[in-house]
Amino acid sequence: MNVLTIILMAVLVFLSRYLFLEPKLPVNLSPYMQRLLSYAAPALLAAVIGPIIFVHTHGVNLSVQNPYLWAGLCTVILIMLTKRILLTTTLGFICFIGFKWALTLSSQTL
Amino acid sequence: MNQNSSVSKAPLIEGQEIKDEENYKDTVRRAAIDMMPLSVAVVPWGVMVGAYGVASGLGAFNTQLLSLIVFAGTAQLVVIGMMASGLGLISILMTTALITSRHLLYSMALRERIAPLPWPWRYGLGFLLTDEFFVHCTKAQDSRAGTQADRWYMLGAGLSFYLVWNISTAIGIVAGHWLPDLAHWGLDFTVAAIFIAILFPNIQTWGTGFCVLLSMIIAVYCAANEMKLGLMIATISGMVLGYALDRWRESNQ
Repeated sequence: MNVLTIILMAVLVFLSRYLFLEPKLPVNLSPYMQRLLSYAAPALLAAVIGPIIFVHTHGVNLSVQNPYLWAGLCTVILIMLTKRILLTTTLGFICFIGFKWALTLSSQTL
Repeated sequence: MNQNSSVSKAPLIEGQEIKDEENYKDTVRRAAIDMMPLSVAVVPWGVMVGAYGVASGLGAFNTQLLSLIVFAGTAQLVVIGMMASGLGLISILMTTALITSRHLLYSMALRERIAPLPWPWRYGLGFLLTDEFFVHCTKAQDSRAGTQADRWYMLGAGLSFYLVWNISTAIGIVAGHWLPDLAHWGLDFTVAAIFIAILFPNIQTWGTGFCVLLSMIIAVYCAANEMKLGLMIATISGMVLGYALDRWRESNQ
């Protein structure tokens, strides 16, 4: 059952990736459409980042106790300063662990 | 993110025909190296998916099978949760369709580059078309489009990412047996960190800035209300706002 589900999922995901790569599909993208699509990457990245940072089990989390928020801000600052992806993500993750640990600790002592 | 390449798209670059097999290998290797920051950064996320699959009782085989043939992190994570709570085939497939709908945008955007290729290339590159692949292969500096080397470059980027994703899933499966709590360590933050690192240096126009802001707000709202189509709604809204704003500013200059 699970294997069948996974195979059907794979077909579905592949079709969504392949659909517009099929030359027989009668679609011609105008230059305007192409320019519009150039905004797809930034929009998508933002749409993935937002919920990871702000949405946790209890809905939107805007509290100062949210380690994702602080570590996310640090990551933004790091990438603007260094422009290096791997260095930034590594340090960003270390920040996250640090904030998580510190905030858990402080919420226990309060 | 090549909003600078504007409406009058430059004609495809001719030449740079690479016939020597050794050069294909070089291109593939160079692509894999260029992709490295994204590949390495995705490791914790792959480990998390592997550990989560095992922790949810899906079993090592099925967890790895997801990474091998579905190869879509977000969908994998959501579906593992649904399978663990015993939801039926139809609801799992509908959720998958909603989450994966954003790939339609990618294939549309890469249509010019991939659709003219022979079918093994189309199917292969289509299979490898992930968020990271799309972002990496459509960078503003990208001048490979239209060259013979382009397909090899995309193959190298996609394939190396596929290998790393599957190896890290396997690591997560093994590690998850020893550290059952691994799935709740907050490894999902690494995805946010990678995407922040790719996104922020590329915000160079007002349109892109507002596109990012709107898309993020809508995505947060939809996620908080458990709307599965949120990613798609947020992305399209952001795109339209960014495009409209930049066009409006240009026409007023």
